[in-house]
Amino acid sequence: MIGDAVERSLRSPQVLISVGELLSNAAGSRMPDVQPDLLTGEVARRVVAACPTSALKIDEAAGREYLVLNYGDCIACSRCIAAGSGAFRYAEKVARCGVSKAALVRRWDIQSRTEVVENEPALSQAAEQIRALVGRALNIRQVDAGSCNGCEAEIVALTNPYYDLERFGIHFVASPKHADMLLVTGPVTRNMAAALKNAYDAVPSPKLVVAVGACGCSGGIFGGSHAVVGPVDAVIPVDGYIPGCPPTPSMLLTGIVQVLRPFSSPSRRRWS
Amino acid sequence: MTETVPHHEAGVSRALDLLRSANARLVSIFGSTDSGNTDDNRVRRVHYLIDVNGREYRMFTSPVTGPIPSATPITPAAAWYERELHDQYGIACAGHPDPRPLLFHENWPENVHPMIDDTSHVPWIDNDNGGQYRFLKVQGDGVCEVPVGPIHAGIIEPGHFRFSVVGDTVLHLELRHFYTHKGTEKLFENTPLMDGVMIAESVSGDNCFSHAVAYCQAIENAFSISVPPRAQAIRLIGLELERMMAHIADVGALCGDVGFSVPAAYTARLKESLLQASTRFFGTRFWRGIAVPGGLTRDLSSAETGEFGGRVTAAARDFAQMARLILHTSSVQNRFESTGILTAEIARQLAVVGPVARASGIRLDVRRDHPSGRYRNINVDVPQYKYGDVLARARIRIDETAISRNLINETLKELPAGSVLVPVPLSGNAEALSAVESPRGELLYWVRIRDGKITRCHIKSPSFQNWPALPLAMPGNIIADFPLINKSFNLSYSGCDR
Repeated sequence: MIGDAVERSLRSPQVLISVGELLSNAAGSRMPDVQPDLLTGEVARRVVAACPTSALKIDEAAGREYLVLNYGDCIACSRCIAAGSGAFRYAEKVARCGVSKAALVRRWDIQSRTEVVENEPALSQAAEQIRALVGRALNIRQVDAGSCNGCEAEIVALTNPYYDLERFGIHFVASPKHADMLLVTGPVTRNMAAALKNAYDAVPSPKLVVAVGACGCSGGIFGGSHAVVGPVDAVIPVDGYIPGCPPTPSMLLTGIVQVLRPFSSPSRRRWS
Repeated sequence: MTETVPHHEAGVSRALDLLRSANARLVSIFGSTDSGNTDDNRVRRVHYLIDVNGREYRMFTSPVTGPIPSATPITPAAAWYERELHDQYGIACAGHPDPRPLLFHENWPENVHPMIDDTSHVPWIDNDNGGQYRFLKVQGDGVCEVPVGPIHAGIIEPGHFRFSVVGDTVLHLELRHFYTHKGTEKLFENTPLMDGVMIAESVSGDNCFSHAVAYCQAIENAFSISVPPRAQAIRLIGLELERMMAHIADVGALCGDVGFSVPAAYTARLKESLLQASTRFFGTRFWRGIAVPGGLTRDLSSAETGEFGGRVTAAARDFAQMARLILHTSSVQNRFESTGILTAEIARQLAVVGPVARASGIRLDVRRDHPSGRYRNINVDVPQYKYGDVLARARIRIDETAISRNLINETLKELPAGSVLVPVPLSGNAEALSAVESPRGELLYWVRIRDGKITRCHIKSPSFQNWPALPLAMPGNIIADFPLINKSFNLSYSGCDR
């Protein structure tokens, strides 16, 4: 019988998704993207009014108006897409995964209808040290600090045969003492804050922390609750942020790889 | 059907009298402060929701001025509800055998009840305030305590399990949960009707569509809105697809827990194929943002129904073949059979719901007993097993996956024409109840609306109901079988903790 199972599995079609297709792929995440050529002041005001979490804002600087989209606050409700008259659409790719908190924010100059591209702030020192140390092997301890389990469902999916995280040398481990990285989901609840700190302290240095999901990045819709302390970085230091509600497995993988991106040394094999 | 009784003694005692009768099942006990009448605001009320004869929800509600008699001695299923009632509203239940705090741990001050008190002054303190939770101590020669969690090995939600063991054998298990308590019911207060669905979707992410539909139906019931037949049909498809994905993943995870990794990987693949079908046809992996009060934000074009149905059928067929293999593997039978038995008597006393109840010989299913939407027009088969072990819970999920596939295909064949959304009044005062059968069982939303905003939303989650039953399936089993038994219940921590 077990032989039949193995045989059936071997006969089933290859479903592994190639690295090129995976990276930044946001299909099914419902995250928004902006078509800058259709952006107007009126559209901007409408989407800002529609956004339930203030992920969208209008900034004024030096007499110019900028539309600001903070992916870390976005719960992917898609109201901006409904209200945006074509200027907003479902993102096919979200590259802002595994980046600094500042890099979760995108800005568009409304008058000139162009995106303001800023240099990405440097990653933390721990990231550099870990990259040098781990090469292509990374041990991750996942900690749910209060999530709704949507992010967990997607993190579990990373290990299925479509995404096969292990092909990158990335493993989930049972103990924080074996981990290089904590992958933390959820708004940190009062009841989990102490356990999260303990887990962080148990990870040997140098260590990385990646905050996952709208709740992990910003507190999400739970940010104002009496039972919630705040986003992950309210309790422990965070090196990279992966937005989404929940982020798709592709976005999670992109974020993990991004934080860990190998040095530009030509001797090192690259993932992409 | 709601009965409001002006004097609390009378209202509570009528609810308790009904609970004493054999044909009553406790569904929920919860509090509120706002009766929909300004003068009455801030008066605390208690609500008892009871299923009578398995066909009718009855609610008793009455104002509360002092302690009320506990329902727990009559039905142990009331124990957690009354502890929550005290934590949220400060309503004491006299005669409760276990009045320890439930929602908050040592970091929360005593006598601050978030549903009635101002919580803005409660700071988060780094370490607890010195209090110690009292676990039941099991004493005797060779008895050891094994604490597990809140953080577990693997990608799982947090919760604490305290085992008392002799050797490998478990004598007693005590749960301590609510690590993911997010004050969700409080967050609903003053939320506009259309925004509440976003909170509902984040109560238990893997059952987000069930929560969204339950919330939306409550709003629709409050204003007596009937959702277009096409939207009802697509909601049914989403609910059944969510059930299929949950059941397929659960059976695979059970195999993973007995070291049978081929079916574990295979079922993970099947679940992913359904998530990708959802992405392809509905633009969302977990059906987030699809249900809204009044209907749906998304339709399925007639050209797509065939291909979508084909993908569902293919996944269900592959799963059925794999399931036969799993059930015929002797090492699986050896581990599943007679492991973690939940007897029908205990299941009944704790008012257990969902696949766990059906595996213990209790045939309950909201789709059949309290149908709403499209379920009113169809017959749903409700499978049942009587052994209450891991095998029975696996079999229930295998059978129900096939039933869900049939429901989806039949619905796709007769998809009504028309729109999928009707407008909902955004003002007005109302109260209403709605129930759906989520993959984990009876999920119920009760909402009170004033001036187009939610002033109270109570969520009866199947996980909150079923968690207290898990420890009673453990004694006599070895501790190494706990992950398997726990997985066979597959309860949501976030859905329970809210």
